[in-house]
Amino acid sequence: MTTMQTKPKFDPNSPEIKAYLNDLGNQFVREGTMVAFPTCLPGMTTPIPLDESRITALDINSDGHVYGGTSGQQAHIFGAAFHHLTGIVLDAGTVAGCTSTAAVCCGASRVIAFVNGPQGGRAVALPYIRLAEDWIQEWGLRPPVLQELGECVSGEQVVHAIAVPTRNTIVGVTTKHVFTVDVETGQINVVGEAPGRGHLAMGRSAVFGQDDGTQLWRFDVASGRLHRAAVHLPDGEWTAPLRWAHNRDSGLLFTADAAGQLFSFDESKFRLLGKAHLAPVGPIAVTPDGRLFGFCGAEMANLFCCDTASGSVTNLGVAASVLEQRRYGYQFGDAVAGRDGELIFGEDDNGGHLWLYFPKITSIRA
Amino acid sequence: MGSGQIDRRTFMKVSGALAAGLAPAAAVAAEAKAAKALDETPYPVKWYPFTEHPDSDTCWSLSVGPDGRIYAAACAESVPGGVVKPVRYNEQRDDLDYLFNLAEKVDDPGDSGRASQCKIHYSFAPSMHDGVLYMATHLSGPPIDLPVYSPWYSWHDAKRCFRGSALLAFDTRTDQVLWWDTLIPKEGCRCLLHDEERGLLYAMSYPRDHFIIYDLRTRKRRDIGRISSINPQALFLDKKHRVWTSSDYGRLVRYTPETDRLEISPGLIAHDPNYQTGWHSVFYDVAPSPDGECVYASTWCPNPRLMRIWHNQGDWPRVEDLGPATQPRDLSFPIDMYDDHCGGLAFGGDGKLYYVASRWRDAKYNPTPESRKQNEGVVWCLDPQTLKREEVARLEHPTGLAHYVSRGAVDHNGDLFFGHVGNHPSGIFKVSMPADRKRKNAHLPIRMWG
Repeated sequence: MTTMQTKPKFDPNSPEIKAYLNDLGNQFVREGTMVAFPTCLPGMTTPIPLDESRITALDINSDGHVYGGTSGQQAHIFGAAFHHLTGIVLDAGTVAGCTSTAAVCCGASRVIAFVNGPQGGRAVALPYIRLAEDWIQEWGLRPPVLQELGECVSGEQVVHAIAVPTRNTIVGVTTKHVFTVDVETGQINVVGEAPGRGHLAMGRSAVFGQDDGTQLWRFDVASGRLHRAAVHLPDGEWTAPLRWAHNRDSGLLFTADAAGQLFSFDESKFRLLGKAHLAPVGPIAVTPDGRLFGFCGAEMANLFCCDTASGSVTNLGVAASVLEQRRYGYQFGDAVAGRDGELIFGEDDNGGHLWLYFPKITSIRA
Repeated sequence: MGSGQIDRRTFMKVSGALAAGLAPAAAVAAEAKAAKALDETPYPVKWYPFTEHPDSDTCWSLSVGPDGRIYAAACAESVPGGVVKPVRYNEQRDDLDYLFNLAEKVDDPGDSGRASQCKIHYSFAPSMHDGVLYMATHLSGPPIDLPVYSPWYSWHDAKRCFRGSALLAFDTRTDQVLWWDTLIPKEGCRCLLHDEERGLLYAMSYPRDHFIIYDLRTRKRRDIGRISSINPQALFLDKKHRVWTSSDYGRLVRYTPETDRLEISPGLIAHDPNYQTGWHSVFYDVAPSPDGECVYASTWCPNPRLMRIWHNQGDWPRVEDLGPATQPRDLSFPIDMYDDHCGGLAFGGDGKLYYVASRWRDAKYNPTPESRKQNEGVVWCLDPQTLKREEVARLEHPTGLAHYVSRGAVDHNGDLFFGHVGNHPSGIFKVSMPADRKRKNAHLPIRMWG
């Protein structure tokens, strides 16, 4: 058997090949800095086990502390802090028989997590953890204790939940019902029937969820009333579960359709922004300067940034961390905007880390 | 980097250009001619270049087949559209037989426009009951019309993305490919293992580092999930049918079929505790001891470490650090991992462990004369009883490099073979063993992983 040597079918000096090589050189985190932080006090405690650490839910409280939950062989609830003398993820424990976390909500006085098992979804309360210790010098705290609040709706999995602005109430949805949880008492009330598809969004005074067809239901927080088919979604592919982001300053909501088209929503009308270069769009969050960041694409997600003023979308490449831990990031489950303009993504993968993303600083506008 | 020294990445780029038509054919021919016994020591060494696959630039897989013969992969990863061709050492002709163009066998030719079926990476696995040698392909070879390939960049590109690791069942009794399947869509297979009793193949995917199980009976694949970011380069099996590998942070990773879970060990595998944390101490090569009670391993890490792991003992096994495999060096600089390397672990018919460790000229730590090559591949023999090691041979390439050995194996006659990475064409070394160190069927009990 003889073989001719392969002749390449390209001109190495062509603009296309040069552009391709330039693109390859920027395939990871094209802007800003990513830090993959393990689910532990690095060097001091063990992280959440490999197959119990898919981070699927995050929220942040007024102290800038992040609480979250994992999915896998067991669901864990954790607290995390990255400012001052912290730099820790503290595993608060597991809920027996539960294998996924649908939502974690920072309430006024404590955290309420929603976890699922074969029997259905349940609410669990976690007292706020005193994370603001001196984690360089000396620390001391007791392990937190999780409190079971019970099933949300009998036999139904919780799909998502979100805290209202006062943080006294959580609004959640199972596969078939909307419910509320009183943060202080832990009392769960079923509000009415509505499908649970995708994440919920907290607007100025109402919670929105994906209804049948191309509509949203609205739960009015003040009146406690559920309005089915309250909002029509704009033209788009509304076949996939929705993800949302919230601009804390403007109150605007953001979402995406199954094709990756990005929209803003002011609770009455939608505005089409740009389109992410991959679909589906996963977790998204908004920085204080109004930029929307998120991940798009299955299996190997790409970070993107949308300028919500112009609608332009930029591909920021595959996530990679060379600080704290050296790691590629492929799949992400949730996102929150951090205290000082950073973003925190929960990695929905074996050995999941919290990924802090520090976006590139943009120029001051006159 | 001194003159004559070349790092692997540079090598790949340069060799790609050579493959693009710049390779002087005369040099290749001269090299082939010069392939002859170079050493009259008790361990004569001979180089067998893949002259009939001139695109080849690496040999990542070399294993003994179920028939006791030596199989190797003539890989072409730096060549656009390059393909892998399995070869076999023919002891009658004292030469290589080129078995087939693997890309053609799996209907994924080199000019498909996708990343090509360019190599087999530590992924030969024998099947003793039927004489089959399983082999799974790996990625990195660029499409025919692109200079390089990135699986991250092209993951979502249907035109460019690697179709997936192709798994072939090659019947060594009839020299026929019995069947093939896609083992891992879009990803390469970094290493492969066969649990023959249970009819399962185990693989590590690249780049996502997922642990894959393939049921040979149903030909169905299961993805057990991700381990880390750096691929481990070896999997191994214990008596309880548990499969072992390593994580990025130098911990053992164990898959237990009964629990269907991946677990991480509390302890670290061998590394230099003076300045390393265990990070990047992933397994490079693992050889089973003939009695099956332990394995010997080296790491894919600067200052590769040798160790012995008693995987049948205790909840988590005892790891014996056998020390560094290569020479001292300046620890303040991250040495090129192509220079500092240890691989080719194989047990000889004499019950001793053989492996190849690199050695290089260093003004302070190893001031060898200029008459010697900058980089050398040293064949070591380690006595498992005394743990004493002895240098028994030096690999010699007529004109090129001889220090980066990927895998080693002993054939049924008891001779040693090593796959080598870094020449163009690439090839394998044969180290003929002294008569008193050989035995019939020295390859048994056979290693079940690549």
